[in-house]
Amino acid sequence: MEGGPGSAPPERPKHAMATDFFQQQDVARRSTTRLVVLFALAVLAIIASVEVLLAATMGYLGRNPETGAVEWTAVTDPQLLVMAVVGTLVVVGGGSLYKIAQLRGGGRVIAEELGGRLLTAETSDPIEQRLLNVIEEMAIASGTPPPPVYLMDREEGINAFAAGFSPDDAVLGVTRGTATRMNRDELQGVIAHEFSHILNGDMRMNIRLMGLLHGILIIGIIGYFILRMSFYTRGGRRSRNGKDGVPMIAIGAGLAVIGFAGTFFGNLIKAAVSRQREFLADASAVQFTRQPDGIAGALKKIGGFVGGSSVQNPNAPQASHLFFGRATSGFSAMFSTHPPLAERIRRIDPSWDGEFPEAVTRADTGLAPANAVPGAAGFAGGEAAAATAAPGVESAVASIGRPSQAHIQYAAQLIESLPAELVAAAHEPYGARAVVYVLLLDRQDETRQRQLTHLQAAADRGVFEEALRLWPFVENLNVRMRLPLLEITLPALRVLTSNQYGLFKQNVVKLVEADDTIDLFEWSLHRILLRDLEVQHGRVQRAKVRHRSVTAVQPYSELLMSVLAYVGHRDVGAAEYAFEQARLKLGLARTRLYGQEECGLAKLDAALTHLDEAAPQVKRQVLEAAVACITADRKVTAAEAELLRAVSASMSCPMPPIMLY
Amino acid sequence: MTPFVITILLGIVFVFVLGAILVGIFNKLVRFRNRYQNAFAQIEVQLKRRYDLIPNMVEVAKGYMQHERETLEAVIQARNQAAGGLQKAAQNPGDAAAIQGLASAEGALTGTLGRLFALAESYPDLKANQNMMQLSEELRSTENKVAFSRQAFNDAVTQYNTYKQTFPPVSFAGLFGHGQDAVLLEFEGEAIQEAPKVSF
Repeated sequence: MEGGPGSAPPERPKHAMATDFFQQQDVARRSTTRLVVLFALAVLAIIASVEVLLAATMGYLGRNPETGAVEWTAVTDPQLLVMAVVGTLVVVGGGSLYKIAQLRGGGRVIAEELGGRLLTAETSDPIEQRLLNVIEEMAIASGTPPPPVYLMDREEGINAFAAGFSPDDAVLGVTRGTATRMNRDELQGVIAHEFSHILNGDMRMNIRLMGLLHGILIIGIIGYFILRMSFYTRGGRRSRNGKDGVPMIAIGAGLAVIGFAGTFFGNLIKAAVSRQREFLADASAVQFTRQPDGIAGALKKIGGFVGGSSVQNPNAPQASHLFFGRATSGFSAMFSTHPPLAERIRRIDPSWDGEFPEAVTRADTGLAPANAVPGAAGFAGGEAAAATAAPGVESAVASIGRPSQAHIQYAAQLIESLPAELVAAAHEPYGARAVVYVLLLDRQDETRQRQLTHLQAAADRGVFEEALRLWPFVENLNVRMRLPLLEITLPALRVLTSNQYGLFKQNVVKLVEADDTIDLFEWSLHRILLRDLEVQHGRVQRAKVRHRSVTAVQPYSELLMSVLAYVGHRDVGAAEYAFEQARLKLGLARTRLYGQEECGLAKLDAALTHLDEAAPQVKRQVLEAAVACITADRKVTAAEAELLRAVSASMSCPMPPIMLY
Repeated sequence: MTPFVITILLGIVFVFVLGAILVGIFNKLVRFRNRYQNAFAQIEVQLKRRYDLIPNMVEVAKGYMQHERETLEAVIQARNQAAGGLQKAAQNPGDAAAIQGLASAEGALTGTLGRLFALAESYPDLKANQNMMQLSEELRSTENKVAFSRQAFNDAVTQYNTYKQTFPPVSFAGLFGHGQDAVLLEFEGEAIQEAPKVSF
């Protein structure tokens, strides 16, 4: 960046409009609906073509023996129509549902199909370590659990992808070329781009598109198959009976044409949608990092590198729209899932001279210290910026799904200032469990002793000793570090096998219940932990949108606001005032403040399950009300901030860390 | 006329359903195999750490136990053998011979290490050595981690084998290149499960 500290970020091009998380979620949903309509039309067209094809074949078979004219009467035959409709629907529907079901298995399936290898934090390779660090910072900055990272070892091109059905099961894949050839800023730009795909809900749409296209493709494959079969049988023993073969060939060729033509147009649609989402992701990446040089530099390197962004894996074409750059070379811009490189660069960096850097050698791969995050402004300047631009609680809702550079620097600082012993333990499955157990240990000696006794008896061998070793570090840990610490344990905990996870979960519940009262931190931790891990271990269904208005979720929001009002405000008058602020935000005429005794955490759990099923805009209103409630007394405690993040995470809204000073 | 088309349609549906099932089985087999291979990578990390610690420890012990040269050399030799076994197993965690080779090499290493620790009992200076204390503590926690990741590996292997043996996958596993069951990694005498009682 040419500017010094404090210089404003370069003007953002106007098409990179700053829409917020909730709007994006809405847009993603709406465009999905539009696509479904579009594809429904496509399926109708296919049914019509199949009908005509069948009718023509029949007409040919029953043709007038004298004149040889084809009879077209079969077109109106209802039996044939039913057959065409049912047959097409079964094939397309079955094919789509099958593919979608397969892809819903989560991003891991896709990542593994593309030849990715899961990275673990124990790696000693500095390249892999740097990649994991960048991703961890970005995850904490955006308030999502760090996604599993797959490295595509055999791919030297510069590319990356995000896959998964929802943010809960998202994974990132990065080619070796990206990991080795990018400098830290560029890598951060690429990762920010992929995170914005996750946060914008692009992957859900992508998966549906892949599914529908697969369904149509299957018609073509079946046709091709029939064609091959009929040639084979004609050439073989049944050659004397040529008459049967002709309709077979006709049907086969017809289906192949229909299927492949359908796929052709489907790909056009897919590519058009995908290009729009790429621009959006580029713009969001600049917004996250306030650092256009990173992502622009990455794009320029693709342009200057011989291998470009190509991906060799045979499964790459069908996942082409997931990638950061074009993974396969298409023959026409119409089919490209990505806008032209030059146009993407110009939108980010209007002053670009059109020259690609020549012959990219391997970039410096030294592990830049986490603090030297973006901004040529340097660390001191960056810190000042973080302090002044530190988004407080008031802007918490606005920053959901939109982490800023300040968040990224803050996250890097948090990780940096965590004791190294805790970070090391949190990064591998064995120690990560101990870290979670230790976070749950009570500060009261008596309760803690009871908890430790339980661990000694019920946890795996050695975990108890590990917990004792880690306790002093956690005891002296700044409260605002607790949630980030918890978040960095998540990737390691995801690799637990279901037996190990079962035991772990049991122990967590036991530790939480040890003192017979569940405090808010314990509840928040438990909530954030299970929210991520239960999905990973396939133990819960994802939420569907069921409530579309604030009134539909009124009782649940009332309970939530009541809990928040009591948490931050000791006397009833202040709590009532805070609750009133929330009511105004919700725009409800009559609400009821629950009595303190009515506000159990179990009830809160149930309420949040319902609130998670609200439409995005409803969620936004509820979260804004929650913030109003918390800030009513102009004082935000660590407990309130943690609770707010747990609530927000429970509603599938990734909230960046709230900076308390 | 119509029966001809119905046959075609039924045939299409049949081929389609069969194809979907086969693809599903194939993918699941691959996924489960990837899972246990990933789990082995975890063991590998911990075992490597263990093999890195041992020479350091022998180096420290050498200064005190000049008369036990033979035992020390046996430890190093067993360590090298186990490291070789690990390398082979890591190349293909599904290879039964490689896994068993690693298991027995590990067993031998644990045995010689046990002897070393028993001998060390009679060298109070060694026991008091700060370096030695730290190294054996680290060795111990590494062994716990090995046990833990081994449990994960064995869970993943069991899941893979169980899936392979159910119907219908059992009929196709061989065809898809999943003929052999993967083997569990059990260390001989389960010695490593019980971390050596080092009283440093």
